Amino acid sequence: MSQHDRTHHAKIATGKGDPQCFKGTAGPAKFKVGDRVRIKNLPDIFYTRCQVYTRGAIGEVAVVTHESPAPEDEAWGHVDQSEWFYIVRFKQKDLWPEYPANFANDTLQTEFSERWLESV
Amino acid sequence: MSNDHDHDHDHGHGHKPPAPMVEEISDFEALEIAVRELAIEKGLFTAEDHRRFTEFAEHIGPTPAARMVAKAWLDPEYKKLCLTDAIKASFAVGVDWLNPTGFGTPSDYTDLRVLEDTPTMHHVVVCTLCSCYPRPILGFQPEWYRTPNYRRRLVRWPRQVLAEFGLTLPPEVEVRVEDSNQKCRFIVMPVRPAGTEGWTEDQLTEIVTRDCLIGVALPKPGMTTNIPLPVHKPAKPAHH
Repeated sequence: MSQHDRTHHAKIATGKGDPQCFKGTAGPAKFKVGDRVRIKNLPDIFYTRCQVYTRGAIGEVAVVTHESPAPEDEAWGHVDQSEWFYIVRFKQKDLWPEYPANFANDTLQTEFSERWLESV
Repeated sequence: MSNDHDHDHDHGHGHKPPAPMVEEISDFEALEIAVRELAIEKGLFTAEDHRRFTEFAEHIGPTPAARMVAKAWLDPEYKKLCLTDAIKASFAVGVDWLNPTGFGTPSDYTDLRVLEDTPTMHHVVVCTLCSCYPRPILGFQPEWYRTPNYRRRLVRWPRQVLAEFGLTLPPEVEVRVEDSNQKCRFIVMPVRPAGTEGWTEDQLTEIVTRDCLIGVALPKPGMTTNIPLPVHKPAKPAHH
């Protein structure tokens, strides 16, 4: 007997796109390109898109992408609170201790909502 | 086929089963089927609607993204647009992300990013969560893109996985994995290969195959999705 309107996103995104439909709803972004950030190891219940392999790692903000509700909230039907999202770049050797030293320049990028990041 | 030595006496008259196939179905695929069947039962859409959408999605083909890259190779201004507003740049190759299905709703998230390769940087895309993929411009994912094998290993051993695809890159080329885990979608814009000087947009489009756009291959003159595949004689032919 859910009261959640399952066409909510489609309705607000039609003609604009998702995440564009959330533009201007998150306030000022806390981080900018080039900032060094650590990925927090927050508890997650039921759903997250913050991969375990990134938790605790330090990287650099590569792109400030868009505003959107966080998937951890959307999964529960909460779409009223938006956050900024960031593509963060890591050195592979900072993610995987065994990453071969002769490929020390290799990198990995992935995206986080603001709640997962803290300044270093 | 590790038991072959037990069956040597069988050569020529036994019936050998084919090599084991990967018949892996992920939790997400099982979930998709379950949700789809429930939705059909509930009357949200019909099996016919689903088939029609699948037909639409599978016919998109790799062409729009390939043409985007070819156009960008030829036109620096268009390339700039691809790198700053890829959704807008998609219109030039006939893709409207905000209305891709013709069914009235956006079918996917609509924040496309183009990852530009350089002679010293190679991008490759994965979604470790499941299978995020820029469908409106690149069609459906290949089967291997959705497998846990590719997803788990690419982020950790990218060079080994690329080598399995036949792509070995020297250490001076930085391999940058893009784990597509939120609302952004990605295609790779490879470096225009040597030997394509003076080519037309159509010729260039032909060599930007799907795998080049994911980043597990590099474009090469003469290598298109339309060339006949080489046929290798089986090492151990089956006898019937």
